[in-house]
Amino acid sequence: MDETSKIIKTVSSVMFPFVTIYGLYVILHGHLTPGGGFQGGAIVASGCALLVVAFGSDAIAKRVKESQLSLLESIGALGFISLAFVGIATTFFYNSLAGTKFLFGRIPPYGSNPGYLSSGGLLPLMNLAVGTKVIAGLFAIVLILAIATRKKGGRSK
Amino acid sequence: MRSRDAVALIALVLLGSFMIMSVLPLANMIRPFGEPVNPEMDDYIITHAQNETGANNAVTSVVFDYRGFDTLGEATVLFTAVAGVILILRRYAHG
Amino acid sequence: MMFEVLQIVVPILTVAAAIVAVYFRDLLSATIALAAMSLLLSMEFYILQAPDVAIAEAGVGACLTTAILIFSIKATKRMEDEK
Repeated sequence: MDETSKIIKTVSSVMFPFVTIYGLYVILHGHLTPGGGFQGGAIVASGCALLVVAFGSDAIAKRVKESQLSLLESIGALGFISLAFVGIATTFFYNSLAGTKFLFGRIPPYGSNPGYLSSGGLLPLMNLAVGTKVIAGLFAIVLILAIATRKKGGRSK
Repeated sequence: MRSRDAVALIALVLLGSFMIMSVLPLANMIRPFGEPVNPEMDDYIITHAQNETGANNAVTSVVFDYRGFDTLGEATVLFTAVAGVILILRRYAHG
Repeated sequence: MMFEVLQIVVPILTVAAAIVAVYFRDLLSATIALAAMSLLLSMEFYILQAPDVAIAEAGVGACLTTAILIFSIKATKRMEDEK
């Protein structure tokens, strides 16, 4: 694979933490501001795709295996389904944490207000699970496509 | 090839005429923009979403709480897509 | 006034980017035009007050799709064949 220039590598290393922090902010504040698990996960996966484009697939594949990403995605999906099973005493997907004094149980006043981070019941946890799943899934797609096409013609045999 | 062009032209004319008709004042007289026919569910979610789920973002409370099954289907679609891509491309990636 | 001008300008630019993406012979240029169309479409979603959809469109359409298409162009050919 052709080596990319030093400018691309430096700018990508500077930009990657900011993109990741913004994506994690979108995931964590999904119940207060626009965004959520899928949107934030797509932003973080975009930052990881930037690293793959800048540094080449071989340098990234030495650090991250796609089997680990697949495992992380399965953990996210299982976490989402098990969080949906928490409120099974009433119905599937019942938000049983909202309104309690426990974690994320605060209810904001009615109307437009900035809200509290510790509110929303099960919604922030579900956002985290879906965000993990989307980050791992989209990054796995980009990474395995980059590894499979690192030689001209795609076939390495 | 000539008949395919004729079919494409007819389809374009039909689609364009429907799109132009939908912005004319006649269509706005039949059903005005911004006034849906069945607003009961929207009004219920707008008034009750903050008290019932505690989330200020009503879209998230719809996506993960009121319509959680929809998100479950979306997660299944993404999982299947990733599994298919890895299944097909793993042979080329690791030789 | 600003709102109406944006409502007219942004869809016209979106359609122009889509038409340009169809007419390019160079597939890499067509991919970049498609990314520009996706970014303009996300701006249109933001003008229509749907920020959730705008973030998803900007992340998936303008970045990840472009990366995937560029990787597949690298594995195949860059120029489109003449008939």
